[in-house]
Amino acid sequence: MNGRDRENPPGGSTPQRHASDEQFEELLARALRIDVPEAMPATAPRRSPPIFRWAALAAGLLMAVGLSVRMLQNTGYIGTGDLGHDVVAHIHHEPLAIRTPVVPPEAAVPQAELETVLREAGANLGPMGPMVRYAKLCPFRGKMVAHFVVQGASGPVTVLLLPDEEVERPIPVDEDGFIGTIVSLPIGGSIAVVGEQGEARLDEIQREVAAAVRWRL
Amino acid sequence: MSADISDLDRRREFDALVRKFRPDLFRYAFWLSRSRNLAEDVVQEALLRAWQSYGDLKERDSARQWLVTIVRREHARIYERKQLDTVDIANFEEEIAASESDPDLQRMRRALFQLDDGYREPLALQVLLGHSVREIGGLLGLPEATVLTRLHRARNKLKQALGSGPEGAGGEGGSA
Repeated sequence: MNGRDRENPPGGSTPQRHASDEQFEELLARALRIDVPEAMPATAPRRSPPIFRWAALAAGLLMAVGLSVRMLQNTGYIGTGDLGHDVVAHIHHEPLAIRTPVVPPEAAVPQAELETVLREAGANLGPMGPMVRYAKLCPFRGKMVAHFVVQGASGPVTVLLLPDEEVERPIPVDEDGFIGTIVSLPIGGSIAVVGEQGEARLDEIQREVAAAVRWRL
Repeated sequence: MSADISDLDRRREFDALVRKFRPDLFRYAFWLSRSRNLAEDVVQEALLRAWQSYGDLKERDSARQWLVTIVRREHARIYERKQLDTVDIANFEEEIAASESDPDLQRMRRALFQLDDGYREPLALQVLLGHSVREIGGLLGLPEATVLTRLHRARNKLKQALGSGPEGAGGEGGSA
């Protein structure tokens, strides 16, 4: 512990008192150092904030600090016209979601929590291989979309489900060290699958997610 | 506020800071709220806010103090918004791992859990985060004499709870 500015207790000092004080301080320091969850909270499952929370946050920020359109574009709240750039901007906006390269299996988002996010985003997800380690409902280009992160071979892979974004052909993403693709789905809409440079499972994850996604009617 | 948050180097620098300070920020948030769930929410929100304004942090050496300030502010904001009930000692077993086998450690944690906020926070800042009395005073808006007195009284109260302290805790010097 830090011994700076230690107050001097009244009553003098004896060797016994000194030893006792040292034991007390050691116990106090140990007691304060409670266990910290391994993967908290960037990668661990956690409650999804309700829609109004994000809307309120965005509105509050707008009013309080006069955020510019540029700033909103940087966070992905509204689009810039470049879908790939908006996806990367949104990833930057939630850096904690991809902070840890590899998380243990126990950091998987519980199925019920994932389903809540998907339901709010108007989507369903069938069985798929990659472990979902983060899931949240996010504002993106004026819509609330499912943003989740799955475990790749060497790092996190971000997935955005975009039911309202139609792309005619795959859009490559290569920006700020992130690579990936935005692809259309046969059922309409598209998905963005983006990982860090060198991620070996990107294509496989993209295929699995694309096959697993269903939009709710 | 910086508008450009797409700098990968800055992200890595921030990630390194998070890795370094997150455990103690979580512990600090826990001893503020006495709730693991709330502490996780507080730290999550605080780090998001910290990232959003990271470009404005001029002195990287003061990052720890800066993060602690954000955590403290975020705790107050969430606490106020949720209008949380008073934390009951019955929550102790739920919040602190019941598997802890060291009875002395358990007793100390129970005593800390029951300590008034006004004593628990400066103690956590000093012992857990290594803050000086001056830094604690600056953070809590208290004169240094008051901080010293609270630290002294906090220890006395803990010792009393552990059955080894003086009977009287003394009055608080300075004004809060």
